[in-house]
Amino acid sequence: MKRFYAVLAFVVSGLVAVQAAMAVWAEAGLFLWISRDGGAIDQATLSSEWQPPFPEAAGFEIHGMNGMMVIPAVALVLVVVSLFAKVPRGIAWAVAVLLLVALQVTLGLLGHSASIAGLAHGINAVGLFTVSLLAGLRAWRAAALTAAPAESVPAVA
Amino acid sequence: MTRTPEPVTRRRRLRLRVWLPTAVATLLLVPLGVLWWSSLLPSSLSVMQMGSADFGTGGRPLEHHHGDMHGMSVTDLVADPSRPPDVRVDLHAARATLSIGTAQVSGYTVNGTSPGPTIRAREGQLIEVRFTNDSVPGGVTLHWHGVSVPNAMDGVAGVTQDALPPGQSFTYRFVAAQAGTYWYHSHQVSHEQVIGGLYGALVIEPKGGTPPPDAVARAHTYAGVRTINGRPENLVVATGAGGQIRVRVVNTDNATLPVWSSGPVVVAAIDGNEVNEPSPVAGQVIRVPAGGRVDLLVSPASAGMRIQLSKATAVIVAAGGAEPAEPEQPAARFDPLAYGRPADVGFDPSRLDRHFDYLVSQLPGFVKGRPGVWWAINGKLYPNVPMFVVAEGELVGMHIVNSTSEVHPMHLHGHRVMVTARDGVAATGSPWWTDSFDVQPGESFDIVFRADNPGIWMDHCHNLDHARDGMVAHLAYDGVSTPFLLGGPAGNEPE
Repeated sequence: MKRFYAVLAFVVSGLVAVQAAMAVWAEAGLFLWISRDGGAIDQATLSSEWQPPFPEAAGFEIHGMNGMMVIPAVALVLVVVSLFAKVPRGIAWAVAVLLLVALQVTLGLLGHSASIAGLAHGINAVGLFTVSLLAGLRAWRAAALTAAPAESVPAVA
Repeated sequence: MTRTPEPVTRRRRLRLRVWLPTAVATLLLVPLGVLWWSSLLPSSLSVMQMGSADFGTGGRPLEHHHGDMHGMSVTDLVADPSRPPDVRVDLHAARATLSIGTAQVSGYTVNGTSPGPTIRAREGQLIEVRFTNDSVPGGVTLHWHGVSVPNAMDGVAGVTQDALPPGQSFTYRFVAAQAGTYWYHSHQVSHEQVIGGLYGALVIEPKGGTPPPDAVARAHTYAGVRTINGRPENLVVATGAGGQIRVRVVNTDNATLPVWSSGPVVVAAIDGNEVNEPSPVAGQVIRVPAGGRVDLLVSPASAGMRIQLSKATAVIVAAGGAEPAEPEQPAARFDPLAYGRPADVGFDPSRLDRHFDYLVSQLPGFVKGRPGVWWAINGKLYPNVPMFVVAEGELVGMHIVNSTSEVHPMHLHGHRVMVTARDGVAATGSPWWTDSFDVQPGESFDIVFRADNPGIWMDHCHNLDHARDGMVAHLAYDGVSTPFLLGGPAGNEPE
């Protein structure tokens, strides 16, 4: 259970890295399509079942699906697992991950109406990445301690 | 028998260790599951039972029982069946691959083209359209956008009729009561069918005399390609003998259409309503809401006139010489709130019989089983949206607030509404009658309309993707109900 907790936390941090990669990849593709290929886009384009003619556009799609559905779902499962995993202070860490995810989704959506929220979205991404990674490492260490009886391993703090 | 206290405590602690997390997890997951489950729509649903009845404030108490299937049926609300039609049109819808310039786009046609033919009639004439679905798998209907048709002719699948499966026909009959520029489009799976090309224009000319020369410019974006009348190129038109032409701009997209010109134009009508004493407009962007229309009177000087419909396409009113250069998009915006001169409208807009709030916000939750952040009306997600109930003859006011991050082009079926104030600032120009108006993020609108067309009418966002995601309310007249169902055997899916 502890290892499962750890894997879920690592999955969150991994997916956050994917989010960063997708956003920048798609942004770069959009800019190249405009600056190199002479692409043009406006409000009507966006709401006309437009299929963006550059492959990097998939990055926007993946960023949206991943951020709105996959990551919140994994974070929710992490909290549920934390209730059973008996990782020391594991529940607190899992709840922190879930709260940061909720904040991240909110900031992402707010960015559609106020660009300043986009700045916070970027910074919070680093926070979420760090907290989920630390939560995973703590659980992994706790799992290692449980698996091997305390007397057979050198004393660890 | 006696037990030592120690194992009991341990067992209790163990039990607690299992049960407490299970209980917490249940408390966490069950509400989510319930929310998801309750957002799933049944296989058939009547709009009469959807959401809750909203009687607003003021007005006499209405006896309308929400969910009541009695009273007058929408199918009884038709044009005089004994009157012979003055204009008869046959329209056929088909699934097709459209050639938009060099691009091939999967879409729909009406009588073999997209857009379909422009229907023309004179004010007061009875129009009869026999509409047949030749090959659209999901079924079709026709809605007469902006026309106050009798309710049975409104063409909303699941509310005023069943969607027509391939091979079936429906006959629409209505009187062209008011001259102006209108359009028609499918109201079955409209977020796909309208943007896919199932639409056309309807022009009602004033009665008497020779109609002044006009040109219809139907702006539409097919899979990202801007077009006028289905072509991704400029529309060149010539003025009539008087050196003047009326350019009828129809925005059939989901987004606002910015319009600006190389010289002064007169905004003669908005959504088929003549502006009182309009003045020439120059150096301003006229923003035509999704579904909206403007009639521009153009009298070009010797060099001709160029009217941009967005940056990509333009209407060029030729005057024989060279084409005028593309004008810069101005920063200033045309504002109908203060355009033209006030006129008597025959009622006092401050003496309302009934008043409603239509507050749009964004809330996290499930719509049709999909998690996300969705449009909410008065704090509730689809299908728990309000049904505004009115009595015939009432003067109805509505306060619309957009607290979301996107513009919402609001469209009430079957009625014209008059904007009395925006953000609390009273209208000072010509009476601003409209059927499609943009409520920008953070804005509020006050509108009034006369409840003079009984039926069950949609009151929704004409960004049809927003409508699909639940931004749909209804206006119901006391004592009117519909036998049609959302879903059901006909597969009605109006949005």
